Amino acid sequence: MVGFNGVSKSFGDVQAVADLTLELHPGETVALLGPNGAGKSTALDLLLGLRMPDTGTVELFGGSPRQAIARGMVGAMLQSGGLMEDVTVREVVQLACDLHPRAHPVDQVLATADLTEIAGRKVNKLSGGQEQRVRFALATAGANELIVLDEPTTGMDVSARQAFWATMRAQAAEGRTVLFATHYLEEADAIADRVLVLHRGRLLADGTAAEIKARAGARRIVFDLEGLEDREDREDRDDPSGETPEAVLNALPHLAGLEISGRTVRIRSTDADATVHAVYAAGLYPRNLEVAGLGLEQAFLAITAEEEAANR
Amino acid sequence: MKTLIKLEILRVLRNRKFMFFSVIYPPVLFLLLTAGQDAHKKLDGLGITVVAYYMVAMCAFGAMTAVLMGNAERISREREKGWVRQLRLTALPGRGYVTAKIASAATISLPSIILVMLVAASVKQVRLDAWQWAGILLCSWAGSFVFAALGVAIGYVATADVARPIAMIAYFVLAALGGLWAPFTLFPGWLQTIADYLPARPYAALGQAIEFGSAPHLKDIAVLAFYLVLFAGGAAWMYRKDTAKA
Repeated sequence: MVGFNGVSKSFGDVQAVADLTLELHPGETVALLGPNGAGKSTALDLLLGLRMPDTGTVELFGGSPRQAIARGMVGAMLQSGGLMEDVTVREVVQLACDLHPRAHPVDQVLATADLTEIAGRKVNKLSGGQEQRVRFALATAGANELIVLDEPTTGMDVSARQAFWATMRAQAAEGRTVLFATHYLEEADAIADRVLVLHRGRLLADGTAAEIKARAGARRIVFDLEGLEDREDREDRDDPSGETPEAVLNALPHLAGLEISGRTVRIRSTDADATVHAVYAAGLYPRNLEVAGLGLEQAFLAITAEEEAANR
Repeated sequence: MKTLIKLEILRVLRNRKFMFFSVIYPPVLFLLLTAGQDAHKKLDGLGITVVAYYMVAMCAFGAMTAVLMGNAERISREREKGWVRQLRLTALPGRGYVTAKIASAATISLPSIILVMLVAASVKQVRLDAWQWAGILLCSWAGSFVFAALGVAIGYVATADVARPIAMIAYFVLAALGGLWAPFTLFPGWLQTIADYLPARPYAALGQAIEFGSAPHLKDIAVLAFYLVLFAGGAAWMYRKDTAKA
């Protein structure tokens, strides 16, 4: 289908993509995550045939990227994709439609990208978000099987972002593969069926957002505890029993992190069920108890930090 | 591909300032070079008047300037901005891109040629047969495609910073060796031979042959055709293979 097969690419001494092997499936929405310089853009360039791999092969729908593009199978929205100047929005979208072997009608493309109202405006007079929508229109000018988006919502406001992803979900629902690179982890969390974590050109993780979070191996427990606020006073009194709430909390099982601020307790635990049980068993009475998975962001940081440590 | 050609031409027409200066520059230069020249003075070694010689030279030079400078710089800038990258994600073949760029350049060169001819006829009393005017126009215009293609090729190898100086050097050297500023007949023999195989001399020679009342030489056409294929083919190839730089 769509895949990398042992693809490597370096620029001088810098290994941008290292031995990347992965396959994308129809109808999948895949997020490509990674810090700056992780090789995301290079990986997308390789996928689109804008750069040639040093080793390995990229296959798109049974052919080379160029062949797939010529057949109208691939649409892409590039971060660095400039636009033609001195032309109107409609003209440049019309151009994309005319060049596409399996094009949609231009009015439909304009409407989908929410450009109908500004179709007569000059491309070089658009705001950043509007420009992004034009790029999006260029990427969806025809019936592409694969849509590649590099940081697509940069410069969009919240409502534009939501509208954008609604459109993208509709594309995926039609059986298209959507691959997007992003900085916004909540986007990846909310939208992607599958998350790829790229770091220093290597694929560190590949799974659902939940799996990635689970791999980081911890859940977050938050609750309020009465009697914590005045603990300073109590310390002055020098409680002989030593059984301060802090000591109890510190002794909880499966603890990966503990943070107390005011009367709010934040715990990271590798086994949340056991930890919570122990809290009650110790006779504490937590209020407003919340147990949640780590955010993708924390998971992502944990995974990349692990990798950094392994390399050291 | 038709849409791209149409758009590229539209863009040039909309860019009034660029259009104005590109079109006005050759006739002005023609008037400067021929200032004080006797309208009937013949050029040594050639059977045509000095003014007629310069008319064709300036048609060629003006067209060359407009297309070479315009294309080279605009293309390298478009490349840097990433528009070319975006285009490469469409089914557009390399030749489509080069053709559109040559077409847009030709939109500028045509009025500049016509203006030089109008100035020559009205201010400098150049008198030719109707077919000669038509022939010179056609040859000067068609010949400018070669330099437009060179402009595309330069826009492709150079970054925006250096595209202009490279295009300047290319066109100064070609124009000087092509006898566009000083009569070609003043060159030493060996230089004339070299110039015959560079693009600018054959280019001007097309129009000058017509001024003599004969058809353009096949050899000149062949040399120009060779350069057109070389530059356009090279540019199309680079458009497709531009994987080294984003």
